[in-house]
Amino acid sequence: MHPAIVTLLASSAAATASALGVLPLVGRARVPERWIGWANALAGGMMFGTAFALGAVEGEAAVPAAIGTLVGILFIAWTHAATGTEDLSLNRLGETGPEYGYRVALVQTLHAGSEGIAIGAAMTVDLPFGLFTAATMAVHNIPEVTVLAAVQRSRSVSLATAALTGVATNVPQVFVAVATYAIVSAAPGTLSWVLGLATGMLANLVLVELLPESYRQAGHTSIAVVASAALAMVALLIGWVG
Amino acid sequence: MHQILLVGFYGLITALATGLGAVPFAFVKRISGRTAALANALAAGLMLGASFGLLAEGSRHGAPQTILGANVGLLFVLLAHRWIGHGDVSFGEVTGAGARRMLLIVLVMTVHSFSEGVAVGAAFGGGTELAFLITVAIAVHNVPEGLAISAVLRPEGTSVLACAGWSVFSSLPQPLMAVPAYLLVETIHPALPYGIGFAAGAMVFMVFLELLPEAFEDAPRWLIGILTSGSMTVMLLFQRIL
Repeated sequence: MHPAIVTLLASSAAATASALGVLPLVGRARVPERWIGWANALAGGMMFGTAFALGAVEGEAAVPAAIGTLVGILFIAWTHAATGTEDLSLNRLGETGPEYGYRVALVQTLHAGSEGIAIGAAMTVDLPFGLFTAATMAVHNIPEVTVLAAVQRSRSVSLATAALTGVATNVPQVFVAVATYAIVSAAPGTLSWVLGLATGMLANLVLVELLPESYRQAGHTSIAVVASAALAMVALLIGWVG
Repeated sequence: MHQILLVGFYGLITALATGLGAVPFAFVKRISGRTAALANALAAGLMLGASFGLLAEGSRHGAPQTILGANVGLLFVLLAHRWIGHGDVSFGEVTGAGARRMLLIVLVMTVHSFSEGVAVGAAFGGGTELAFLITVAIAVHNVPEGLAISAVLRPEGTSVLACAGWSVFSSLPQPLMAVPAYLLVETIHPALPYGIGFAAGAMVFMVFLELLPEAFEDAPRWLIGILTSGSMTVMLLFQRIL
C-alpha cells in the first residue's frame, strides 16, 4: 500500500479512536474533576514523549531541527494570542455560553492540526515509527475527548453528539498529516525542519493547554506521577520501535 | 584528571551553583513570585531536555531496564517527598515564615539532592559529554533552588553569606552521591541503563512535581510554555551538537 494511503488511514484511525473518550461518561452525567485532571496529564505525558521521540530522530540536522522547534513553539503562542485563547480554561464544567464552546472547539482544532504534523513527519522517517506515532496520538486523543465530552455533558449534550464532536475536532489531524507527508516526501530536505516544528508545537501545547488545568483539578503529586510515567513509557516505546 | 575526581568535581560544581541563588538577596530583600516562576520554568526546560538525553542513552543500553530505573527514580522522589512531610515550597508564602519553615526548606532541598547526585554520577556511564550536559542542567536548576532557600531564610534575618552557605549545604549530597553512582554503573556494567533511567525518571518527576506547578502559579501559562519549551530546545540542541 502506498505510504500516503497508510498515512491517511492511520491518522483517520487516530481521529476516530477519539470517540472512545466518551466511554467514561456512559451512565453518568458528570465525571469527577480529578478524572479530567488525570486524563489531561495522561494526554500531556504521552504528547511530551512523542515530542521527545520526534526531536531525537537520528541523522537529522541539529540546527534546522532546533530552529523548527522554536518556530513551532512561537507558532502555538501566536495562534493562542491571535484567537484570544492564551489563558482560556478548557475544562469549565459549570455554566458556559455558546461562545465558550466555539473557542474550545477552535483550540482543539488547532491542537489536532499540530498532531497531524507529528504523524505526517513521523511517517516520512519510516513506517513503523509513523504507525507508532499515530497509535500514540490515537491513545492520547481518547482522554482529550473525555475532557471535551465532560464539558459538553455538563450542558446536557448527548453522548453520541459528544463523540461526534470529539471526532470532528480531530479531523484536521487527518488532512494535515497527509499534507505534511506529501510535502516532506516531495522535498526531503524539509524533514529536519518539520520534525523540529512538530516537536516545538507538541511541547508547547502540553505546557499551555494540558498541564496548567490538570494541576488544579487533581493536585500536584498525582499529576506528576501520571504525566511522568506516560512520558517515559511513550519515549521508550517509540525509541524501541525506532 | 582522574575520572572519579572529575565526577566528584562535577558534583561539587552543581552544589556550588546552588549558592548563586543567594546573590540577588545582596541587592534586594525579596524577589517577586514572577521572577522565581520564570527561573523555575527555565530550569524545568533544561531538566526535561537533559532527561530526554538520558532516556535516549539509556534505551541504547536496554529500554526495559531504563524504564524500570525511571520508575524507581520516580518512586524515590515520591517517597522522599512523603517522608519529609509534604514540604511543598511556595515562593508566594515567604512572608512570616518561621524557624520550622526554614528548617523544612533546607531539609526538602537536601533530601531531593540525593537523586540529582545520582543523575550526575550515572550520566558519566554514558560518556563525559552527556555528563557535562546533565551537570549544566542540574547546576542551572540548583540556582532557583538556592533562590527558594534564600527567599525563606533572608527575611528571617539570615545574612546573605549564610543563605549561600545553607544553599550549598542543601546540595552537598550531589558530590557525595555522584561518585558511588558512577562507581556502581562502571563496575557493574549492566547497572548502567537502570542508573541512567533512575536519573531521568527522578528529574522528569521533579519537573512535573515541583518546578512546573510553582511556575504556573505566578506567571502566565503562555510565557511558561515559551520559556520551558525554549530552554528544552536549547538543551536538546547542545546534546545533538556535542
